[in-house]
Amino acid sequence: MEYSIKPRGEFTLYVKASGRMDLDSAVQYGTAVKDALYDADEQITELVLDFGEVTFISSFGLKVVLELYKHMQEQNGKLTVENVPEQIKNSFKMVGFDKFLEF
Amino acid sequence: MLKTVKSKILAIAIFMLAFLLIAFACYGGVFRMKTKQLMLQNYIFAVDTFVNRLNEKVVRLEDNSEDLALIGKLAYKTDKDIALTKKSIKNIFENYDNSLGGGIWYEPYTFDKSQKRTCLYIFRNRNNQLVFDESFASEEYDYHNRSWYKEIKSKIKKEHDTAWSLPYYEEIGSETMMITVGTGIFADGKLVGISTIDWDLKDLFAEIMRMAPIERGFSFFEARDTIKGSFALFASKADDYIIVSNTPYVDNLALTGKPLSALPWYRDNLRYVTYMTYHGKKYVPIVKDIKNGMLLIICIPKSEMFTDINKFVFMMLLILAFLAILIPTVLYFGLDRYIIKPIYILMNIARKVSRGEDIKIQLNKPEEFAQLASAFDKMTTNIKKITMDREKINNELNIAKSIQASSLPSVFPPFPDRKEFDIFASMDAAKEVGGDFYDFYFKDDQNFMFLVADVSGKGIPAALFMMTSKTLIENLSQFGFPPSELIYTINNKICQNNKEGLFVTMLAGIINLNTGRLSLMNCGHNQPLIKRKGGSYEYMNLDSNMVLGVFENVDFNIYETEMNPGDSLFIYTDGITEATNASDEMYGENRLQECLNSIKTIALNKISEEVKKNIKEFTLDYPQSDDITMLIFKYNGQAQMKEMTYKDKAVIENYKPCYTWLHGACEEWGLNEELKNTLDMCSEEIFANVTFYAYPFEQGEIEVYIKNEYNTITLKFIDSGLPYNPLEKPDPDITLPPEDRPLGGLGIYMVKQMAREVIYERIDDKNILTLIFDC
Repeated sequence: MEYSIKPRGEFTLYVKASGRMDLDSAVQYGTAVKDALYDADEQITELVLDFGEVTFISSFGLKVVLELYKHMQEQNGKLTVENVPEQIKNSFKMVGFDKFLEF
Repeated sequence: MLKTVKSKILAIAIFMLAFLLIAFACYGGVFRMKTKQLMLQNYIFAVDTFVNRLNEKVVRLEDNSEDLALIGKLAYKTDKDIALTKKSIKNIFENYDNSLGGGIWYEPYTFDKSQKRTCLYIFRNRNNQLVFDESFASEEYDYHNRSWYKEIKSKIKKEHDTAWSLPYYEEIGSETMMITVGTGIFADGKLVGISTIDWDLKDLFAEIMRMAPIERGFSFFEARDTIKGSFALFASKADDYIIVSNTPYVDNLALTGKPLSALPWYRDNLRYVTYMTYHGKKYVPIVKDIKNGMLLIICIPKSEMFTDINKFVFMMLLILAFLAILIPTVLYFGLDRYIIKPIYILMNIARKVSRGEDIKIQLNKPEEFAQLASAFDKMTTNIKKITMDREKINNELNIAKSIQASSLPSVFPPFPDRKEFDIFASMDAAKEVGGDFYDFYFKDDQNFMFLVADVSGKGIPAALFMMTSKTLIENLSQFGFPPSELIYTINNKICQNNKEGLFVTMLAGIINLNTGRLSLMNCGHNQPLIKRKGGSYEYMNLDSNMVLGVFENVDFNIYETEMNPGDSLFIYTDGITEATNASDEMYGENRLQECLNSIKTIALNKISEEVKKNIKEFTLDYPQSDDITMLIFKYNGQAQMKEMTYKDKAVIENYKPCYTWLHGACEEWGLNEELKNTLDMCSEEIFANVTFYAYPFEQGEIEVYIKNEYNTITLKFIDSGLPYNPLEKPDPDITLPPEDRPLGGLGIYMVKQMAREVIYERIDDKNILTLIFDC
């Protein structure tokens, strides 16, 4: 799995991932995003996760998304997702993420 | 508020009470007024009678005075014979025995030029003898200077004039209080003397006293007592003085001779006054004129006058008020006791009976209610009997229904060792026993028959007809007839057994499980839906044949087709398409098709559940009017099996070769992308679990085994680690808001959602977790 993290505007962090978000890569991905949040010059209020090129997400990937969402919530910020493929949408729905994520 | 009979009767009773009270009060008032008027008239009449008597006396006195004057004139004009004159005078008084006395008085030196005084006075002595009193002619008495003489003389102007004196006290002779009436004696136009008649006031006084306490003249009253405190006055209005009175407040003599204006209550218009107040007491004055211009005033105390009538009216009103209260009260309590109470008793019993209590009514009176009660009892008994009969019938019908239901195969899968096909069927009966049924069986080892049928009509006849038809079809199908011959025979047999004119619609299929060749027969039934592998459900267009059981010896068209592995068939009865909602809309074929195509699951029992759920969502609470029956048949094709195994150390890094192997298997078997992802997600979760929980301290091996058979994927994970059953983990609550949600537990929850079945076993110190998926 590969990902790129870059700021979008002053207070928004944009993360684009591609490939498999699974046991092997999800934890690494989560840690990298969190580090980026800490390292940002300004307080990040919005985290955007782009799923456009993610081909597969397992329960580990979902767990990381939830973890990041909770983290943003604690920082009084928010997490949004973009370009979610149909198959990942189904996974989100299965675990009830559609209650708080818009995709 | 006035909903009950009791309150209505109470209201009527209160209204009646008020009405009677008002009516009686009005009656009392009018009665009192009228009686008072009548009484007053009676008083006035009594006074009138008295006044008439008084008038007669006054006239008589005046007449006598005039007669005396005539005698005096004769005596003066003629021979002046004293003896004859005295005889004439005595004659007058003898004829009239009421007067005290009277006489003829001449002016000085007129009768006898030598004598200054000539008078002839007669009076009644104590022995009631008429005696002439000569002493009045004495110088000592000097009648010419007496007040009465001067008074009368001054009032007389011409002949026949009559005048009355003021009352005076005669100290000589009679020594009484008196008034005198007098007439002038004229000769040659000149007054020569006067005649007088004395009226003893004691006499008048006695008269007034006699009448003043007027006797009540009403025969109406038993007590003929007198009115206390009334008084009378006899007065001369012209001269303005009181002649005599009997007022109890003032001395009789003290008032006599006083002017009327001395009386504080006297007014000129007294006769128009209804009552006046004197010494703090109300009096009704009755004023009467006497013929000589005198006045009689009688004052009757108002309170005394109407005491009795007031008492009487009060008593009467009291009695009427008592009646006014008594009548409605008696009426109310009577109605309450004899009508309302029995109604309440009946009502309570009706309530208890409706609750199912066994009660006999105890009501002996009144007669009508006793009859009603016994009729009620009879009715209760009958209702109980009818209810029991109906319960019995209902029970029997329920038993029939369950017998009918249990005659349909209900164990699924029915042939677990035959993997070539899956079948599921269900029949949800409407309230009554109905005529829907389904059935399936092997005709022989290769040919499998399934059918859905609907018997016309409902109730017991339809149910019995269904049972015979079902048995008949099953028996005949075992004879090895080819399809067309089989259906021909079935129809003839049903016709022979059908005396009641019922009929059966049926859709039956016979499939050769080796080749997938399918023969379909549609006997007046709904068109089935077919789903080709990878496609969606479409309605078939089969030739519709005659319904079964109507015409014998009819040929039936058979529809022949092929079923390929993964194809499904959905057969149903019109109970589905004709299910109706509250606005009278039918579920219809389109809804059914849409519903079937929206269902994701491939487990046949779940498809059936979804369809039923969808129908229920459409009809909501509207009752089901017909049996709902469906049968789903899925052909899996010839027996075939593929399997692969992967074995490696259970470490996180090894999952990558594991899923690479898994992907390879999926591609080789042509499984779709969705299933591939599902298998990937599930195996990753299990792989991780084994790594973390089965081998927490030391590394061990994991074996992954995958099998594809009859479109079912079986995935097995075997390890020799610590006993660990992931199914024991409770499911996370996915409805919680994100801040309250735990991070763990998602994976195994997803596995349970995605797999058709998850089985954990611990065999030979090994954890074996089996996941089963449908292709």
